[in-house]
Amino acid sequence: MFLVPVDAEKDSGHDHGGHGGHGGHDHSGHAKHDHAKSAAHGGHDHTSHAAADAPAQYTCPMHPEVVSDKPGSCPKCGMFLVPVDAKAEDHSGHDMGGHAGGAGHAGHSGGEAIEGIEANFMSMVDLTRDMPASADGLKMEWIEVPFGPFFPGLPGGLGLTLTLDGDAVAETRVQSLVSGPIAAAGMTPAEFVDHFADLSPLSPVSMRLLACLALEHAADFAPDAATATARAAAVERERIASHLGWLAGFAAQTGMVWMERRAAAMQLSFQAASPEQIATRSASLRAFLHRVRNTPLLRAKLSGNGRIAEGKPVAGPVARAQGIAADARVDDTVYAALGFQIVTGTGGDALARLHQRCDEIVQSLDLIARAKALSVAGPVEIGTASGQGEALVETPRGAARLTVELRDGRLVVATCLPPSVAHMDLLPELLASHEIADALVSVGSLDLSPWGLPV
Amino acid sequence: MSIALVLLALVPGAYFIAMVEGWTVHGRFSLTRPALSALALLGRESLLARTPDRLFFEAGPVLLLVAGLLAVAVIPLAPGLIITDLATGALFLNAALAYVLVALIMAGWGPNGAYGMIGGWRFLGQFVAYAMLIVMPITAVAMRAESLSTTVIVTSQAPLWNVFYQPIGFVLFVVAAQGLAWLPPLDLPNAPGDLAGGVEAEYTGVRLAVLRLARMVIILALAGAIVTFYLGGWLGPWLPAWAWSVIKILVVTTVMLTAGRLVPRVREARYLAISWKLGISLALANIFLVGVIALVVPI
Repeated sequence: MFLVPVDAEKDSGHDHGGHGGHGGHDHSGHAKHDHAKSAAHGGHDHTSHAAADAPAQYTCPMHPEVVSDKPGSCPKCGMFLVPVDAKAEDHSGHDMGGHAGGAGHAGHSGGEAIEGIEANFMSMVDLTRDMPASADGLKMEWIEVPFGPFFPGLPGGLGLTLTLDGDAVAETRVQSLVSGPIAAAGMTPAEFVDHFADLSPLSPVSMRLLACLALEHAADFAPDAATATARAAAVERERIASHLGWLAGFAAQTGMVWMERRAAAMQLSFQAASPEQIATRSASLRAFLHRVRNTPLLRAKLSGNGRIAEGKPVAGPVARAQGIAADARVDDTVYAALGFQIVTGTGGDALARLHQRCDEIVQSLDLIARAKALSVAGPVEIGTASGQGEALVETPRGAARLTVELRDGRLVVATCLPPSVAHMDLLPELLASHEIADALVSVGSLDLSPWGLPV
Repeated sequence: MSIALVLLALVPGAYFIAMVEGWTVHGRFSLTRPALSALALLGRESLLARTPDRLFFEAGPVLLLVAGLLAVAVIPLAPGLIITDLATGALFLNAALAYVLVALIMAGWGPNGAYGMIGGWRFLGQFVAYAMLIVMPITAVAMRAESLSTTVIVTSQAPLWNVFYQPIGFVLFVVAAQGLAWLPPLDLPNAPGDLAGGVEAEYTGVRLAVLRLARMVIILALAGAIVTFYLGGWLGPWLPAWAWSVIKILVVTTVMLTAGRLVPRVREARYLAISWKLGISLALANIFLVGVIALVVPI
């Protein structure tokens, strides 16, 4: 291989490095020419030109022990000797982190000398010089891709934007595109209950109960046990329907058309079913869940996917799938009377969440069977009470807390903390450097609701 | 004559695929739906993406169709009923289907959209997984037939179909064919749940119709290849030879279209890992076994 002047080697903007491959030319002239030109242009790296005028040390990219004070080829492998400082600079461009053999990459800067093709032609090092590198050190063009607000398998209204590095996620931005403020001020309790339920169309029954409980708490009113039990049964019915709806979306995402169709049909058949209808339909639902759990290749697809680190704020089925006994129903006397026992799983990945939701559907079926009656909460009769109230309800996605302030039977202010808030904040860390399909499965497995979030 | 017949046979074949696929996706079997969908696609505006790579965008679907048709050319439906009975038919099939990769990358790159582009590149990864598992089982088939001619391969199975003679190769080839035709659970380039249609995402109207038709032809070609290589081609009692080919190809097509929809889409990394670590080992074992059997037992 042939001797290359430092300048040509380094200054890819002028691309004179290519002449290195033409063999046998005297390149000192080129170097001087470059120097004059770049001086006119200004803004060039003059240290390298200085190096050309007063040659520094040269070394082989592959054999750092070979050091020479003039350019040439390596006696061991025949590669171009590169200037010591140029080598350092090229290497820093790689940003290979712990790559022990990284020194060898400096050789790329010289390019392969092929007759008729300029060195550095389509050189990946040059093409990607100023691009950001992801955790794997591989530089690619980053592209920003929207996965929402309408994306198959993800909840509508979720504004998920992923910056992709190849097919891996480099950055995540997530926001709700459908949340609005709770316009409670001046509303009557009945109006507020409807308004609050409308804000969360994915779980209106739980939200309705939450609003009723908070208002009743503010007015120091307690419904009788039968009503409370029937209300709880309605929430459990919603949990079944909500989990089935999630399953349908999840099946759509993972490409299981049969499961999507069955789950969606089941969701519709349970959404407004009476306790008797639920009892008669429960056998087929249990059979379906059994089949879901035993789907071939499901474990390979889901296990290890979307695992959340310990100590993160999680709620609802996501927390319970991780073995955390977080459930607002535990402290509820109504549920205690129904013999509620918290169900938790292990693993904390997408597979564990799927199993957890299947288990919770079965649990809700049992709770409804024991409750016997079922009625959706509201409207509340609290007259012209004043005061502050607070309530906590375990919605299908986790515990939601609502605080209300009443004055003379009218709402003054209401603030709600729904469970999906914490989960949405987890996404950037959860998805980082995951393959796109895995990342979307992780998002799906959280069962996010973009509705009713604080803005 | 046979050229016209085989090409004509593709029309009902593609229609059949459209019916079965519609059934698996929508849950309803409809005789008229594919015709209506095709009419709708032809009547719809064919949108051009913003700043496309026009050449790739237009050429992708067409090249895909050409690749499929070239592959069909060496599939024998009956003795003499084959577009061209090449002495190197099995190899030619391989070469023709290699353009599927090129076409899909072009179609993915062309419209200048992220979903399509990722879909196209994904298929490049998928190619790495399935390519060897198409070639290596064919090698074992050719070893038994002592010929690369597809008609000779069919007649070599008269004593015993290859599905029984080399079942490992059969399974590997079918799975690889699923990958080549990007059928579920290996539908990574157009994964609806990951990429919202992927390669197909930016195509509309006539171009989408061509893209879909091309894929149907590829599925037919692969089903034809499976029948030719493993299920005795046109061989069978009572019925005429072409009828056996048609029946077998339609059954294989139905299985290919329906089987994968019961399982979740395979993760790309896992697909590659299994294909190389398990698939290629099995393919080598298959070649070895077939070689030993061919030497020891003269059938």
